[in-house]
Amino acid sequence: SLMGARLAGSHVDTQEPKTNPLVSISDEPETLYKRLSLLVKGHDKAVLDSYEYFAVLAAKELGISVEKVDKPPKTIERFTLLKSVHIYKKHRVQYEMRTHYLCLELKHLTSSTAAVYLEYVQRNLPEGVAMEVKKTKIERIPEHIKKPVWDTLPQVEEAEVKS
Amino acid sequence: HPEPLSPQTRAARVRVGKGDKPVTYEQAHPPHYIAHRKGWLSLHTGNLHGEAGAAERAVEDSFLRRFMFGTFPGLLADEVVLKRRGNLLVVCALLNRALPPSKIYFLVGYAETLLSHFYKCPVRLELQTVPARVVYKYL
Repeated sequence: SLMGARLAGSHVDTQEPKTNPLVSISDEPETLYKRLSLLVKGHDKAVLDSYEYFAVLAAKELGISVEKVDKPPKTIERFTLLKSVHIYKKHRVQYEMRTHYLCLELKHLTSSTAAVYLEYVQRNLPEGVAMEVKKTKIERIPEHIKKPVWDTLPQVEEAEVKS
Repeated sequence: HPEPLSPQTRAARVRVGKGDKPVTYEQAHPPHYIAHRKGWLSLHTGNLHGEAGAAERAVEDSFLRRFMFGTFPGLLADEVVLKRRGNLLVVCALLNRALPPSKIYFLVGYAETLLSHFYKCPVRLELQTVPARVVYKYL
């Protein structure tokens, strides 16, 4: 009576699922990635070190397992130019450009996790730093490869070879 | 015979004088201190190993520095720092307090809109005002 009147307009009984407009749910199965390899390049080693701390922390917070953090050796590109505009061949100037690398390998990701992590990490890339991403996908073995071919062929050919 | 070259390099160095010439930290250090005591003035990915576009960035940088030197006449306290994050161009500058803030706001808006239309990318100006040029030492 009174209880019914009070609960009439309220949403206590109905259970509506809370739909977040930013989250989309689809029925198709997600692509799985065996490995996500990030190669980060920069001129400044200190910037790369701080970015490594940031990326590893972000991966841990999202629950992504970090396979290894590798630091390949730096590449130095040097060239020697003439110091003067006109002559003086014996007087030269030397310049060099150093590129430091950082390789992050993350394992066992789904495509949506990879998308979220990559978007976050790329939006916060510092200036003067470049990143290359390589994804290794896992797929089911196609049906026609599962059994060897010689088991599926018919037995007729043996009689032909004998005669 | 042509005049022999002097054995001293003169690139990006302020020559030692009587001790009355004020010099900023940026000007006081010659270029071999870059990545040791100095940072870079322009940060982009064009000069990295395997990346392209270094020449275009260099041309844009020289135009931006002349543009900033012209729009803020006599106000720049130190060199302009240029940062490129994706599409965004961030121009960081140190200014003197010679102009009233209303005029500086107008110049900032003018510079941002003009540069965004010219380079077809979002341009952001980040300014800091200083009472006077920060002197590192006197040469």
